Amino acid sequence: MKAAKFKYVAPRSLEEALGHLGSDPDAKVLSGGQSLMPLLAMRLAAPSVLVDLQHVPGLNAIEDIDNAVRIGARVTHRAVEHSELVARRVPILSLAARHIAHPQIRSRGTFGGSTAHADPSGEWPTVLLAVGATMHLQGAAGRRDVHADDFFVGPFTSSMEPAEILTQVSVPATWDRWSFQEAAVKAGDYGLALVAAVASVENDTITDARVSVGAAVGSVTRLREVEQLLIGAAPDLNTAERAARVATDSVKPISDIHGSSDYRRNLVGSLVKRAIVELKNGA
Amino acid sequence: MSATPQERLEVSISINGRRYKAPVEARKTLADFIREDAHLTGTKLGCEHGVCGSCTVLIDDAPARSCLTLAAQADGHRVRTVESLTEGQELNGLQRAFREQHGLQCGFCTAGFLMTATALLEENPTPTRDDIVETVSGSLCRCTGYQTIIAAIEQAAAEGAADTQKHDEQEGDVL
Ligand SMILES: Cc1cc2nc3c(=O)[nH]c(=O)nc-3n(C[C@H](O)[C@H](O)[C@H](O)COP(=O)(O)OP(=O)(O)OC[C@H]3O[C@@H](n4cnc5c(N)ncnc54)[C@H](O)[C@@H]3O)c2cc1C
Ligand code: FES
Ligand code: FES
Repeated sequence: MKAAKFKYVAPRSLEEALGHLGSDPDAKVLSGGQSLMPLLAMRLAAPSVLVDLQHVPGLNAIEDIDNAVRIGARVTHRAVEHSELVARRVPILSLAARHIAHPQIRSRGTFGGSTAHADPSGEWPTVLLAVGATMHLQGAAGRRDVHADDFFVGPFTSSMEPAEILTQVSVPATWDRWSFQEAAVKAGDYGLALVAAVASVENDTITDARVSVGAAVGSVTRLREVEQLLIGAAPDLNTAERAARVATDSVKPISDIHGSSDYRRNLVGSLVKRAIVELKNGA
Repeated sequence: MSATPQERLEVSISINGRRYKAPVEARKTLADFIREDAHLTGTKLGCEHGVCGSCTVLIDDAPARSCLTLAAQADGHRVRTVESLTEGQELNGLQRAFREQHGLQCGFCTAGFLMTATALLEENPTPTRDDIVETVSGSLCRCTGYQTIIAAIEQAAAEGAADTQKHDEQEGDVL
């Protein structure tokens, strides 16, 4: 299938890109195109103008800043997967990257594109919600920062304005333990259920934790009941088993041709258990 | 200087070492540019929305779906297609391995598998079977059942036969 007609522009600066978005309400950002191009081909999206970010400077870096790793919106999945800095400081991203599609998609698809797309089955949205990342947005009026809790507001919906551009994401590197779990029918497929869990641990007690679930639910969601159970508990098998039961009882899974809600409920329980066991072992 | 959005634009793409320049519609995919403007029909289109992998080419040496990239996005970049693997009638080692291991039947998917495998072997000349399986999982083949494709890539790796030769840029407008 072929896309409907649109115009294309590849601005050389962020200001210019924002100008194009601001002057036409139907203009859209084009990053890696790995989600947008299929939507265009199937004519599920029909923007008037595509504003390609590939020549916009300042969006391609992975930087170590104080307590976080800041990743530019144009950094590819593949670059995250192979980054030594990411592996050392925020290893949950390296673990999750391998689950995103195939090498042919990872070489083009971008961190910012996936985050902005807010796909409920997306590895990045699930992980960014768990770690409590901060999205850096630029609009004509200026910059603003949005915490992941306020960013992913629904299926394929973020709290970004149409004329804003996601420039970077800051991923906190302060968690002690990390785990990413995914159940998919085959390697590279979108998962049936994803679970990301992070924790701070002192003297064998979990002092803080965040757990999120993707794919099995309508939009990426924190499992707050599980988090409450974890905080103050020891990171051990008993805690993992209790967490799995709470997850199974509290998650509200979707049902579709890929899996019934009961099946996904049990998957989420199993993945939460595996995740907490991994926290126990340290990652 | 600020550019204006265009519905038609002039692109210049290096394909297999030759520079192809043509005016194209903004919505034209790289796959259609390769087939219709550069007249290189080795690259096949199955699904046209990123699922089957038959359109895989190398963009700046990385494997990519040419149906999910606009010709306009590839402007100024280097592309390699299946035609780059061989000069004339002689098959390269990877292609020969596909033939010897029966890694193809109808052949529709083959160009995509060959380019995907080329990228893998250029990056990692000694892949494990798991690496190969992971890499080919991004492409669909309705004929072979995959085992023969995996065997072909294993054979090519064992023979160190990947064509890692990158063509030198030749200048000159073809279109
Ligand atoms: C076969 C296949 C399998 C896939 N499997 C998976 C998978 O398992 N897991 C997964 O997570 N993804 C998967 N994807 C999607 C892939 O990860 C995409 O790369 C990603 O979702 C979008 O990133 P992109 O850079 O390609 O963005 P694009 O497709 O260019 O853009 C996506 C959307 O985000 C907007 N946008 C992009 N960048 C910005 C920005 N900086 N600021 C504001 N808005 C922006 C665009 O306007 C568009 O609406 C798959 C894709 C394919 C084709
Ligand atoms: S034709 Fe491009 S992936 Fe199917
Ligand atoms: S050989 Fe026929 S689809 Fe692969």
